[in-house]
Amino acid sequence: MKFTKYLKDKIIEITFSIFIYFLILLLLLAFKSKIELIISLTIIYFIPFIFITTKNFYKKQQFINTLLNNISNLDKAYLVLETLKKPSSYEDKLIYDAMYEINKSMNENIKNYEEQVYTFKNYIEMWIHEVKIPLSSLTLLVHNHKDKFSKNSQRQIKKIDDYLEQILYYVRSENANKDYLINKVNLKKSITAVALKNKDFILESNINLIVENIQQEIYTDSKWLEFIINQIISNSIKYKDNNKESFIKIYTIENKETVSIVIEDNGIGISKSDIRRVFEKSFTGENGRINGSSTGMGLFIVKNLCDKLGHSIKIDSEKNQYTKVYITVSKNKYYEVVK
Amino acid sequence: MKILIIEDDKLMCEELSNLLQNAGYTPIVLKDFKNAKEEIIKLSPDLILLDINIPYTNGEVLLQELRKVINTPIIMLTSRNTETDEVLSMSYGADDYINKPYNPTILLLRINAIIKRIENNMSITNYENCKINIKKGTITNGKIEIILTKNEMIIFTYLLNHKNTIVTRDELMTDLWDNNEYINDGALTVNISRLRTKLKSLGLEDNIQTRKGQGYILI
Repeated sequence: MKFTKYLKDKIIEITFSIFIYFLILLLLLAFKSKIELIISLTIIYFIPFIFITTKNFYKKQQFINTLLNNISNLDKAYLVLETLKKPSSYEDKLIYDAMYEINKSMNENIKNYEEQVYTFKNYIEMWIHEVKIPLSSLTLLVHNHKDKFSKNSQRQIKKIDDYLEQILYYVRSENANKDYLINKVNLKKSITAVALKNKDFILESNINLIVENIQQEIYTDSKWLEFIINQIISNSIKYKDNNKESFIKIYTIENKETVSIVIEDNGIGISKSDIRRVFEKSFTGENGRINGSSTGMGLFIVKNLCDKLGHSIKIDSEKNQYTKVYITVSKNKYYEVVK
Repeated sequence: MKILIIEDDKLMCEELSNLLQNAGYTPIVLKDFKNAKEEIIKLSPDLILLDINIPYTNGEVLLQELRKVINTPIIMLTSRNTETDEVLSMSYGADDYINKPYNPTILLLRINAIIKRIENNMSITNYENCKINIKKGTITNGKIEIILTKNEMIIFTYLLNHKNTIVTRDELMTDLWDNNEYINDGALTVNISRLRTKLKSLGLEDNIQTRKGQGYILI
């Protein structure tokens, strides 16, 4: 809070006081008062004025500064009211109480929304589980009656399942609730599960899948990890380069503190201008425009899930050369100790 | 081999029965969910496929109840796919946990794996006049011993487990991928022709036959 700006706000009071002073001065001069009297009266007039103005300024400044300070130090600024002393003056009390009421109604509003989101989330989860039942019946039907269904049916079912998983994990990743369970996970098992899921796509697209050095056990949620790897592999399949013999290579880089799962492909790559933005919500970029069917949600959800699990994710790519995705998981000694 | 299906979706039961029947198992479907536990014990199946969402009770509860009295292998089939659900089921004593929608070939592989585990005769089996040692990766007819690569052994044991039935390329491929051998179509053809040559040197010529447009059959 600046003194000069404060004075500017008080400009009317100040000009008015000075105006009154000049009137008094004029009167004193008109009555030919002694100069000593004029000086004494001037001092008597101005001292309380200056005193009151500065006192008010310091009092206000103190309050405003604690308020602003506390706001910037709190990660939830709306809790600031709890950190302030209840004021004693009537005017301040009114403002304080008003702020309290505003806060309360805001909290009620937030609670309403939270409840709505929670119910909606639960409904979506339940709905997806329901939809998966006819979907699995359909999978069995297609498998048992290969003569009646074309191979394409299986592919379409897989696509539906992938999209369903996408909403499911979107809902899970956007929510504050802890939906995951960190456990010791056999990386090989998770990668096998994802590979099998994508087997038909990989074979039909004539992509060679190379998997090396994945014996590690890492601390993560296996279901979330499988979703993450599945998204990345789906992208590799989607954005393969038709002019060369394609491959997807999965391997790990291990050092003292971390294990990185690397998923590398020799697909069309990502241009320099796009690469910084691939994790943004709804970002489709150049490749998305070429491909058409891109929602820009896949990597956004992946990033969210990685953040929640405490893994880091990085993409490195050269246009028309390669794309490498690194998922880095720390070897947490803490978990070892807890176990 | 009696496999009991505990699932309340009618179409699913029907198609699952078809799948199991085609694979040479005897499927039975649980009808009375009210007295599920008693009914299951009475039917005395060799393996149980259990859904989590079933009427009157819940698959997890039923699983716990069953584990107190029988140790029949149980595979949980469910559309609930969180890690917590899986960890819970496994800790209650399930032998495997498969998410819906599942790949039918993989379901059959898992069933087969559990049955093999019970029979505990994984390592050595016989075919014609030959002994197959899976762990060592060899086939011998007493005079000659042939070494098979990991891929060839996976293919051969799959064919052997489905002797006299047609095995599709997709089934072989699924089994290979399930064993972390991510080979492509060309490599599968090469592996099969190598396997044929190796079997031929043991005097087993033309035992693997090609059924055009369908797959292979070991006779």
